[in-house]
Amino acid sequence: MWNDLVYAFQAVATLQNVVAMFAGVWGGVIIGAIPGLTGTMAVTLALPLTFSLPPVTSLLLLIALYKGSTYGGSISAILIKTPGTASAACTGLDGYPLALQGKGGKALNMALISSCIGDFISNVSLFFLAMPLAIFALRIGPPEFFMLMTFSLTIVAGISGRSLILGIASACLGLLLATVGEDIYGSFRFAVSEDMKAGLGVAPVLIGLFALPELIKLIVSRPEDNNEALKLGDNALSLSEFRESVKSIIRGSIIGVILGAIPGIGPSTSAFFSYSEARRASKNRERFGKGEIEGVAAAESANNGACGATLIPLLALGVPGDVITGVMLGAFMIHGLTPGPLLFQNNLGEVYSLFIGILFSSVFLFVAGKLTVGAFAKISRIPQTLLLPCILILCIFGVYSIASNPFDVTVMLVMGVVGFIMMLLDIPAAPFLIAFILGPMFEDNMRRSLAISRGDVGVFFHSSISLVFFTLTVLSVILTIRYQWRKWRESSQERVASRKQQAWQ
Amino acid sequence: MNRNRDFLAGLVATAFFALVLFVVIPAYVKGPSFIPGFVPPPDMWPRAVAGLGLVMGLLAIVFAALKMRKPGGDRIAGLGDRISRNKKSIGRFAGLLLVFAAFGHGLPVIGFVPATLLLLGLLFVMTGRFERKFWMLGLTIVFPIVLYLLFAELVHTPFPEGMLFSHDFPTL
Repeated sequence: MWNDLVYAFQAVATLQNVVAMFAGVWGGVIIGAIPGLTGTMAVTLALPLTFSLPPVTSLLLLIALYKGSTYGGSISAILIKTPGTASAACTGLDGYPLALQGKGGKALNMALISSCIGDFISNVSLFFLAMPLAIFALRIGPPEFFMLMTFSLTIVAGISGRSLILGIASACLGLLLATVGEDIYGSFRFAVSEDMKAGLGVAPVLIGLFALPELIKLIVSRPEDNNEALKLGDNALSLSEFRESVKSIIRGSIIGVILGAIPGIGPSTSAFFSYSEARRASKNRERFGKGEIEGVAAAESANNGACGATLIPLLALGVPGDVITGVMLGAFMIHGLTPGPLLFQNNLGEVYSLFIGILFSSVFLFVAGKLTVGAFAKISRIPQTLLLPCILILCIFGVYSIASNPFDVTVMLVMGVVGFIMMLLDIPAAPFLIAFILGPMFEDNMRRSLAISRGDVGVFFHSSISLVFFTLTVLSVILTIRYQWRKWRESSQERVASRKQQAWQ
Repeated sequence: MNRNRDFLAGLVATAFFALVLFVVIPAYVKGPSFIPGFVPPPDMWPRAVAGLGLVMGLLAIVFAALKMRKPGGDRIAGLGDRISRNKKSIGRFAGLLLVFAAFGHGLPVIGFVPATLLLLGLLFVMTGRFERKFWMLGLTIVFPIVLYLLFAELVHTPFPEGMLFSHDFPTL
């Protein structure tokens, strides 16, 4: 193992990889800092640019973008009260009040340090947990994989939106689109035109679904420009302030790792959970929400702590836990690597290289953040009216360059419109995307299981692992329905009460 | 939560999956004449998925309708009322769809770079914010050309030059 690691270190320590990681972190922070542009968008936009690069370099670039954007979201959350990414929304709760008090620089410094610590702890956990999980996964066959994917999709469908029913409908749409083209036994499905016989490309669908709806929204609803950014002010973070927040940083990182490793939860939930735990445990709990630096530390350590952990189920089982790892799964496949237990058997060198590169990405994040925090603050002021149309043109060039096929551009534009309609109707896009990417594997495992069992559906319930995943699926459905029912009852009671009050007045 | 939106989402999902299940699959998913062993036919999976989607769409409609009947629930606003309230936004959306369609059809005729140049200009105009018009004009001209050079020179992407500018264009 150690020889493999040394070899992998030599493979990673090339100028090309170092430049890719630094550029990835930098680009990620810039994109994350601009409100409206998300980490998912950063990774999907960069995807076409990586086709000419070696697989490890490309994947390190994309992972660095992911990590950079997760931290970058905190810059606009702190300075303009508009989180660049959903996971940074919690950071703004204390970050913006600190910036109003002239301590924006201090908040950004704390966000950076806690992000890097959370990120590092998360990377170490990825290093130690992914391999044993992959070894365990080698023992499971097609029926168990089918059940695992069902569980994963159910969790994503339940958590990513406000309605489990609409989440499952969204996943069904993704699964249907994944069947377009030639199946594994040579039959054509939904091949309305010649171009469709090859199926729909992952990149056009991803980019259309996640990069375009924001632009369409900008044109259709014409929102106001971003708020003015506050000045950085007091930059120095004292040792005592850091010491007071250490517990919250470590706790937040561990929360991030645990919640991030569970498919469907991801950085946003981890940040809010860590924040509420920090407030509960802190002796300064009354200052939370009014500019408590510990609040920034708790939120940022957890959202970056979840980043590396979301890669654990992706690498070990081939199951993405959230949208961004779904995009990452697409990137692995485009570069000829199939995440899952076999990745550790067939491409161990690449896996080790990725692990080492990911470990170093925390250092790159720290350097990039520290050197250029002032410049990033200015970036968050770029108006969306100039930015988003340019992004569409970049997407068109990027998508066209994949196969030099105008059909891919059409697919991207159509998916953009579909994504916008889904946004309008509040149908979550995450289950759609993950189902679209997992679709072929999902169907393949189902068909192989039925072929092995000679058509007996009972094959999905024979082994104990299948039964565990089945029970988890049923449990997650019940818990989601219970949670949504309670939420609806509460909101409906509130509405009745407010109407009664209005009637009295 | 907006029950109207849930109701509409359910309606759209039901209509879509019903169309796929009863019209598109019978027409566009043909099974081979012989399937070896116990392998399920190619239309089994799309049918199962579309069926599940249809059930979900119907459930969304039923739940939204039930919730709207309870005290404190929203009522379904008339479609006409919603359209008249969002007339401008619907117009802009329709305009954008037209622009996308024109881009798709115009690309093989006028070529990749001129088409993207025109598209970017139109998108800037459609944002309706003209206080940065010099930036808009500059970016419209410079940005697609920079991207063209980047992709053509570094990634060696062959971009279509368009029938109008091609040497094969029939002369009168």
